This record gives sequence, structure tokens and C-alpha cells, in this order.
Amino acid sequence: MVFRSEDVIVKTISRILVPFIQLYALYVIMHGHYSPGGGFQGGVILAASFILMLLTYGYGETKERISERLVNLLSSIGVLIYAGIGLLCLLLLGNFLDYSQLARILPVEAARARSLGILGVELGVGMAVMAVMISIFLDISSGGVVPDDTDAGDEE
Amino acid sequence: MNTFLLTVGIALCVLAILVLYRVVFGPGVFNRIAAISAIGTKTLIILLIFGFFYGRVEMFIDISLVYALLNFIGCVAAAKYLEMERER
Repeated sequence: MVFRSEDVIVKTISRILVPFIQLYALYVIMHGHYSPGGGFQGGVILAASFILMLLTYGYGETKERISERLVNLLSSIGVLIYAGIGLLCLLLLGNFLDYSQLARILPVEAARARSLGILGVELGVGMAVMAVMISIFLDISSGGVVPDDTDAGDEE
Repeated sequence: MNTFLLTVGIALCVLAILVLYRVVFGPGVFNRIAAISAIGTKTLIILLIFGFFYGRVEMFIDISLVYALLNFIGCVAAAKYLEMERER
């Protein structure tokens, strides 16, 4: 199991760096169509911030911040957003993920609807990727020993 | 300006190859971790030089920022692994 690090340098730098990594991940997700990146890459960077938190503050404290239940919920919601937007386009008499059909229900023209649709899909992908990455890393870092939620982190 | 950047890029590539020797043959794990970190920093600068060549620096700055962040996280992860090995 990954324990809390006692090193001052690593702890301080992680505490300073984690919000900036998350902000940068949101930038990568939102600017996916102007610069390299997009939903998947942004989600991975977002997950990397939590992995840094886990490496520094240990398994127990990270579990308090982002629990298994929340991770499962987020991954499901991400897939739901992705498939939901696709199916919505299908219901609006277009093809699957044909965003221009969203203009029928949104008060914007077709090109704008396309932009908004792909943004929504990228948000969903980012959310799902982040949650699945965190889930995999939490499961691996527990070392096969999953402690109870009551006394997580302070025993082997 | 282009010649200068090209020279700097080639010099950094040669330096990265030199550091690669430490990664492969370096005695101990700490030398290897430090050398991998150094190669990461050099790669970052080489990426930026590529950006100047292609005339899209703003795009390559994004990539190199991600590279720097992941390099740091990888370094911390390797150090953490060593710490766990020692405790066992």
C-alpha cells in the first residue's frame, strides 16, 4: 500500500502543484480543438494530479478526497454524457454524434451547435478517463489490501 | 537564428545520448533516476526548438508543459517505489 510521504520538499511541491495541474488539465480539455489535446489527454492529466496526491499523501487521505463510490459515479456519468449526446443527435433525425442536429433544440445556428456538441462530448470523455485512471491506480496502490472506510490509512 | 537553434538542438541530442550511458550502466538506481530526469528536461527543450522550427511555438509549449509535469510525477513515483522497497 502507498503510505503518506514524510518528506517536506515533496509534500510542499505537491500541494502547490496539484491545483495548477488540474487547471492545466481543464485548459487542455477546453482547448482541444485549437491546440493538441482533448478529452482523453485532459482526463489523463487530471488523473495525474490525483496520482501525485496519492503518492504524496498516501492511500487513506486520497480516499477521503475522492472515494471509490464517487469515482464509479463519475466514470458512469462521463460515458452517459458521451453516449447521451450521440443518442440525442440520433433522436433528432441525424446520425450518431451528428452535432449539427443539436441546432434543432439549442437556440444557436448549426456551426455553433457543432462546436458546443463536441465540447460536451470532450467533457464526458475527460470525466470518464479521469475516473477510470484514478480507479485503476487506487486499486493497484492498495496492494490487494482494501482497508475499511472507518480506519483507512493508519494501519497496514 | 535558425542555425543557432539547430546547433543547440543537436548539442542537446548529443548530451542526451551521453546521459543515456548513465541510465544503462549507471551504478545504482539513484543515478538512473537522476539521469532519466535529465533526459526529460533535455527532451523538453528539444520540443520547444521543434516548435520554433515549425513556427507553432504555442502548440509545442503545451506539449512540453505536459512533459515536464509527467516527468516530475514519474520521478516522485520512482522515488516512492524505492522507499517502499526499503521499508519492506
